[in-house]
Amino acid sequence: MLDCGYKALNGRRDEAIALDDNIEPEWQDLFESISRHKIEGLQEWRQDAARISRERGLAYRPASTDPGQAEGWSLDPIPWFISAERWAELDAGIAQRIRLAGALLADVYGAQNVLKKGIIPNGIILNHQGFVRSLHNLPLGSGVVGLGLSAFDLVRDSSGQTFVVNDRLDCPFGLGLALENRTIINKVLPRLFRRCGVRRIGGFFTDWFNHLGQCAPVAKTEPLVVILDDSEHKDDSEISFLANYCGITRVHPSDLTVRDGRVWIRALRGLVPVDVIWKTTHGNTMDSLESDIVSIRGIAGIFESIRSGNVAVSSHPGSEVLQSPGLYPFLPTVCRELLGEDLLIPSVLTWWCGDSNSLSHVIANLSKMVIKSVGNTRRVKTQYGRMLSKEELAELKAKIMANPEDFVGQEELNISSIPTVRPEGLLPRSAVLRSFSFVDSSGVVQVMPGGLARVTKFEGAIVSTPAMGESKDVWVRSLREETPYSIASVLSHSNLRVPDIVPSRTGENLFWTGRYAERVAVAARFASRLIDCRSRGLSGTKGFEDRHEALLIQSLFTLFDCTSFLKKKTADESLMAIIKETTCPAGIMFNLERFYFATQAAREEWSPASILAIGSCYDGWKNAVEGIDSYFRLEADLDSLQLHLTAFLGLNLDSMTRDLGWALLDAGRRIERAKTVCGLLSILIKGDLAGDMNTIFNESILYFMDSVRTYQSTYLDKPVTCLTTLLLLGLPDYPRSVFGLLDRLSFVVKKLPVPNHQNHPGDLIPVMQDRLSKFVVRLNQMRTCDDFVRSETLVFLEEMLELLDTLSDELTTSYFSHALKQT
Amino acid sequence: MSQLRYRIQHRTAYEYSGRIDLCHNLVHLFPREEGGQETLSHRVEIVPEPHFRSERKDYFGNTVLYFSIQQSHASLDVISKTTVEKSDDEVVLPESESSWDDVSLRSSLSSSFVDGIPLLNYLSPSRSCPAIPELDEFLKKSLQPGKETMGLVNELMGRIYDEFKYVKGSTDSSTPISKVLKEKQGVCQDFAHLMIAALRRIRIPARYISGYLETEPASGQKKLAGADASHAWVEAYTASTGWIGFDPTNNRIPSHQHIKVCHGRDYFDVQPLRGVFVGSGGQELVVEVDVERL
Repeated sequence: MLDCGYKALNGRRDEAIALDDNIEPEWQDLFESISRHKIEGLQEWRQDAARISRERGLAYRPASTDPGQAEGWSLDPIPWFISAERWAELDAGIAQRIRLAGALLADVYGAQNVLKKGIIPNGIILNHQGFVRSLHNLPLGSGVVGLGLSAFDLVRDSSGQTFVVNDRLDCPFGLGLALENRTIINKVLPRLFRRCGVRRIGGFFTDWFNHLGQCAPVAKTEPLVVILDDSEHKDDSEISFLANYCGITRVHPSDLTVRDGRVWIRALRGLVPVDVIWKTTHGNTMDSLESDIVSIRGIAGIFESIRSGNVAVSSHPGSEVLQSPGLYPFLPTVCRELLGEDLLIPSVLTWWCGDSNSLSHVIANLSKMVIKSVGNTRRVKTQYGRMLSKEELAELKAKIMANPEDFVGQEELNISSIPTVRPEGLLPRSAVLRSFSFVDSSGVVQVMPGGLARVTKFEGAIVSTPAMGESKDVWVRSLREETPYSIASVLSHSNLRVPDIVPSRTGENLFWTGRYAERVAVAARFASRLIDCRSRGLSGTKGFEDRHEALLIQSLFTLFDCTSFLKKKTADESLMAIIKETTCPAGIMFNLERFYFATQAAREEWSPASILAIGSCYDGWKNAVEGIDSYFRLEADLDSLQLHLTAFLGLNLDSMTRDLGWALLDAGRRIERAKTVCGLLSILIKGDLAGDMNTIFNESILYFMDSVRTYQSTYLDKPVTCLTTLLLLGLPDYPRSVFGLLDRLSFVVKKLPVPNHQNHPGDLIPVMQDRLSKFVVRLNQMRTCDDFVRSETLVFLEEMLELLDTLSDELTTSYFSHALKQT
Repeated sequence: MSQLRYRIQHRTAYEYSGRIDLCHNLVHLFPREEGGQETLSHRVEIVPEPHFRSERKDYFGNTVLYFSIQQSHASLDVISKTTVEKSDDEVVLPESESSWDDVSLRSSLSSSFVDGIPLLNYLSPSRSCPAIPELDEFLKKSLQPGKETMGLVNELMGRIYDEFKYVKGSTDSSTPISKVLKEKQGVCQDFAHLMIAALRRIRIPARYISGYLETEPASGQKKLAGADASHAWVEAYTASTGWIGFDPTNNRIPSHQHIKVCHGRDYFDVQPLRGVFVGSGGQELVVEVDVERL
């Protein structure tokens, strides 16, 4: 037992503790550091890691009703230390494994010698759902990519033997997570990181990105590479981290289209040809025309494009077949056959039930086995014999006996543990190392010196599920001095093009991010005003205040065109609906959710600070209103929501990388705001109030538009309708006036390219500006609010609202036409 | 023996209620040249004219055409015009050297390669030919131990013909065989899928054949069912006989009146025209097949 109280479990090997009970040399720096910081220090590390990952949006996701899904991969601060010597062994084994997988892939989709010679039973390949028949006989190499980025899961058992327990070749998860973990742990333990001499992983990423560029079927000076990602959910946000990190455009299958046998992105500036696709999606459903499995997420015609040599897809869409655990019993022979070498790292001991002796062994030892499907038909879930009841075991046995060739049994290994921070202190937890590698264009294997480690949250849990596992950084100790590595600077010298391409779908989501942000802001100001009136009063009579309140509520719901929602609601009920109802279109929560979903659909566009601001808006407000039945303590939360929203919008001015996306976000915001101004003025004028009620309502409108003080300093008088109108429409150089908003719109919309066969949507803006200037001149001349001016103003406002809608529609048809229309 | 010539015209026409902006299609209409059948001429006419087309061999050795139309269109017409020549020999049911329940053959069947691909493709369940237990009920009556394989296959063909009713329009391309078994009716495609699934259940390799039947028979002969549309039947395999055709819709061994186009595991591998389109609205499909002896 060590002085920090850490000790290995009985009968289990621990990576940090040598057989003589001393600390392994590569872990010594850590334990010295722990003995200085004590257990309190450990908990601080853990909290730091949790905070930083949350801020970066990693562990961040909306609560789910399913408790197993609600938690993501949380990050344990203690890295997995691996010595240089041990790594050299692993590195050689991993390199061989990926060479073997590559050779097997070429054989399986080509001559099929391993099948013809009976080295692998036909059924293992043919009955696997990842075997893509329509890509058979398409030679790999020149143009057709074999394996791309691949992952192998490695463990060590109590005897010290290393095994591969999973091969992930089709679309391995975790590369982005590994990068994030390194970034975060480097912030949590910066001094330890420097002291330990840890191998840098940045070079692996730049090599990989460079390699992708070299995969282009036709040698190009600037090939266009995209990351294909079909996740709609936040769980897979690691892809957006990668996209954000390397500047490669992230696309959804619906962003791609095949024409003339080529793949194109539907982008804001029209169709742009794609040279290389790094897919993080399943290959066997990639082409909705040719797949055996029906998928709505496929890209029809993409296999034809691969065959025609017009696009490179990495990894090969048929790679998943090699993930079958049914291959494990045969791999040693395959390795000798294809590489002429002995397999360096064995696979976990596996018995294929299609062989009668193996079947007997599996059945006889069922309660100790892990049972997996050979064909990955997804009907069969992995089952752990030790967790099954007698009846369940009998049922499983019957299932295996009915179709033995569909199953394998695997030995459940006594997996080694590594130190992990728990509330009780430092405890040993079973650990799996996911290693990443690829074969570069010159045929050299590149293995990431590090990887993604996963540990169980509690003893006896299964490592591979997010609900039961945690992730860790992996520190491979270096024998020589490591120099800090700037990926950005390396990429800037590579041939990889990092273009300003915004897919139309992303563009549309940015536009709506801007619009919903503005809607949230307006609803929040209404709520603030209402609560303010309630708690402090306006020094009027009760009847007066009630009428004013009713007026405000009516105005907000008129503005959002949903007055039917108010039916039979008291003022209190309406206010609560604005605050927390997800179904109330005039409410904060309703628009905040839409704002959040729009940001998430375009999440690679945001800087870490923006992600933090988005999270603070959405999470902060959700937590604030959860379960509340009164609004009285919400003022601080409303202020905080508005502050974070303002921060988010302000940050994007500085930090959004892509000009076009930013232009759309800003355009969405200004259009929404101009609509709000015109809408509120219209309500104000139609209301035609008199006396104190007119004054207070004018003040409220100015408050919603954050213009009370500007009014006071400009006109030095109590608010009257005609001056409110003048200020909000046409005060020159006032950014909150429609005049200022149109100025801004004109500036940002001009950045958008001229669409094909259409006029530029921005052509509308000078028309609007011209109408506005003329009207403002008239208003200035009259400065009254008689009936004539009122009706003329209403006609003008109607016209402006229509023009703003036309502008929004034209942006939609010009740039996002393929996406579903939102309203 | 003499040679017969057939001219075949197969038209597939879609009318869309809306406009289609983009479509991608796979065409399986090129007749295979095997079993003494030769293609003298073949072409596929497509209206509107595709922007991109390319031909290749698929996994099963069929010729497949991919094409895309990239401009707005409201209809799609695909006309396949073929002239084939084949001998007028009657095919006689051969006897295989083995019985269906000979376990010594099992491993060699599932490990052997035929026509360049593993025979196992035709032994494993597939999308339209799943391994469902209801098949055992149907098979039971015919499974006497030691029965010669091809004789058994022939008997099963006869029983499908006798026990199931041919009802045009009673099913569609996605009707599961469980429903066919239950309702005892279907069309040629259903009978083919049912027979294939049943044969695979007892480990006899079986595949799906798409093709045509002579439309107007020679005088005095009966017009065969399924002659006005594309037809489907089955081929079964034993090592000693190779692939032998069976037409459960007409209870006969296909011969000169059957013109084979493609083969695969089931309908979905050889669907004459499969398409994915981008656009809105419904569609109406017309299929016309005309087979004329020259």
